[in-house]
Amino acid sequence: MNRVMFLPACRSFLIFSLLFALALCVFPLEAYATNAEEAALAIERAEAIVFSCYQVVLEAESAGGDVSGLLARLNDAGVLLAQARVSYGIEDFDGAARSADLCYETGVEVRLEARGLRRLAMEEANQRFRWMMIGSIVGVTIILCASFVSWLTFKRYYYRRILGMKPEVVSSES
Amino acid sequence: MNLEEYRTIFVVTSLTLTLVAAAPTLSIVVPFPRSGERFSELWVLGPNRMAENYPFNVRVDEEYQVFVGVGNHMGSSAYYLVYVKFRNQTQPFPDAQNSTPSPLPAICEFRGFVADGVTWETPIVFSILEVSRLEDSCLVRRMMINDVVFLVDSSSTWDSENNGFYYQLFFELWLYDVTSQSFQFHNRFVGIWLNVTSS
Repeated sequence: MNRVMFLPACRSFLIFSLLFALALCVFPLEAYATNAEEAALAIERAEAIVFSCYQVVLEAESAGGDVSGLLARLNDAGVLLAQARVSYGIEDFDGAARSADLCYETGVEVRLEARGLRRLAMEEANQRFRWMMIGSIVGVTIILCASFVSWLTFKRYYYRRILGMKPEVVSSES
Repeated sequence: MNLEEYRTIFVVTSLTLTLVAAAPTLSIVVPFPRSGERFSELWVLGPNRMAENYPFNVRVDEEYQVFVGVGNHMGSSAYYLVYVKFRNQTQPFPDAQNSTPSPLPAICEFRGFVADGVTWETPIVFSILEVSRLEDSCLVRRMMINDVVFLVDSSSTWDSENNGFYYQLFFELWLYDVTSQSFQFHNRFVGIWLNVTSS
């Protein structure tokens, strides 16, 4: 009787063990592959945002904005990105994904600030240009008017001087 | 002087003053070519941040420090990438004439955003962790750079002229190009020779 009950139990145990062993073989590999893929995607995403940030920062800089603060924060993002790539290279995919995600978050913040700075710098540049142009136009007008008036005054003075001259009588001793 | 000559003087003076008054606006509207050469600097310094006392005779498990720096004179902010590479005496070095980097894989990398006219420097602490040696060959298996262990697997043969197993730790400078949206080799590289004989 005992033997009859023991055999099915033994079979169930064997099947369960086999299934467990199979799961152990398959799931860690699957998790490994997923992690590597996720880490690569996270790094790609982080790289994209850092490049995009850099472009916005360059635009803000060319518009005349002070980007030193943004560059310092972009450097932090760059350090995280390099860490992520190094971690990926030594197959520390969790570390790589973590660093890449942090880099992405920093990048998002920096990009937002950079866009604000770019807008501000462009507005300031436009205003500066406008004032400079008004100044130039006013300056050129004043110079031209002053030159014209000076010329007229000088011409009047010149004619008066010429007309005021008396011809000298020279005695000829021929 | 007659009146015609006076008029010429007046016209020239007026035009000169007009140009001076319009110069600030003209400088924005008319694109003037930038003067000066655009370039980047790359350097490696010893542990005291001086160009001396570079690590040379290295031992296993001992830490050595150098500083790698980049100077930006490109006229605007730049995004730099420094690749750290390790080679023996026969492996290829970057080619300055053809502006090609070394085909060797990078051990690790450093990135920096540098404003125009500003320098950027980073410390690099490295140690050689595992070396196998046969009669006239030496194999460096692993290296640690800034607390991260990297597989190197680089072998070197005995240099009978200089009596040693020589390796070079070198740094390549790459610059991000906005047009191509990728890093391009910037034709700047610098390195230090290491003798692992005494390890």
